[in-house]
Amino acid sequence: MSSHTNQNVDIHDEENYDPTVWVPKTHSHGTKDIWGRFWILLGLTIVDVGFYFVMAPGMLRNIIFIVLGIVKAWFIVGTFMHMKHEKKSLASMIILPMIVIIFFLIWMMYEGNFWGTFK
Amino acid sequence: MSTQTISKSSTWRGGNSPFKLSYGKLMMWIFLLSDAFTFSSLLVGYGAIRYSFPSTEISQIESLDLHFAENVQDKFANGADAHHGEHFIPALREAGVFNEIQWPSPDLVFNHFPFAHGLHLPLIFVSLMTLILILSSVTMVLGVEAGQRGDKKAVSKWMLWTIIGGFAFLSCQAWEWTNFITAGATPWANPYGPPTFAALFFLVTGFHGFHVFSGVLLNIIVYINNLRGTYEKRGHYEMVEKVGLYWHFVDLVWVFVFTFFYLI
Repeated sequence: MSSHTNQNVDIHDEENYDPTVWVPKTHSHGTKDIWGRFWILLGLTIVDVGFYFVMAPGMLRNIIFIVLGIVKAWFIVGTFMHMKHEKKSLASMIILPMIVIIFFLIWMMYEGNFWGTFK
Repeated sequence: MSTQTISKSSTWRGGNSPFKLSYGKLMMWIFLLSDAFTFSSLLVGYGAIRYSFPSTEISQIESLDLHFAENVQDKFANGADAHHGEHFIPALREAGVFNEIQWPSPDLVFNHFPFAHGLHLPLIFVSLMTLILILSSVTMVLGVEAGQRGDKKAVSKWMLWTIIGGFAFLSCQAWEWTNFITAGATPWANPYGPPTFAALFFLVTGFHGFHVFSGVLLNIIVYINNLRGTYEKRGHYEMVEKVGLYWHFVDLVWVFVFTFFYLI
């Protein structure tokens, strides 16, 4: 007769799974990875700014910016949001819908260009 | 309610967590996915509307000197410390660069930097804002890492830095909005070109800014809870991780706002 607010319940115990209190055991992956990703993100932002000033505006430059944005998102979600240490099923549940959205975004930019011809 | 073990005949039959995540963290992920849809709809709408307008051509601006502090004084005689927009916008409207038909190039609109009046510095300030947000994301994840080790003092330290970073970003955004508004932009009027530009700018950066603001509030709550020893008593620092997920998401959205609003 144990209540879930009971102190005796081990919140980490997988055999006594109680959805209201259960949390998996966590362990640190260290800080080296975090700082490494920070320098990559900083570098990619500088590369963005570089492309902005060096390259002439156009579809190719836009594609470069979107690809760099996705690469930055990959590091933020993977390392900072811990996704690379989560189960694959969770990662695909979150990431797969977003791939469709990116496709939709690029598609609608082309569509908008077409609407402009009606103005 | 009891903690009886339900028979585990398969992963998805109940009685365990298939994703090996607690309820709260799984719900945070699902919330973030739905919030990502909301932001995506704004960015998809932005992309479609922005490309239904022709862009500013490089040939329209390459002959102009955009550093207005020195050379436009003679023409407009307003003095060097007059507000940037006071002579910059009329001159570029006169030159036909800002008009109601072409979408203004963002580097002609957001080219201010604090204490550098009249200088044409596109993208520098917004890159600084990006840096601030990435840094605050790093301090947040260091706080999460400290929580995983159960180091209460380190959690406090990193949460405080994250809160400071959040306020710094909000201040930058307030400065950016102030510049844009004092130049005469409202959600229905825009001295730089089509009013839709200003409407979308206020909508998207405002929506993101409100997320940052809520994130700072959540961070403050977690910071105070940690000082009071709530998580130490609870035996785990998962709340830091959950709020951290939200904070990283806000950073992630900014990466795309930066890409679509300022770069493209």
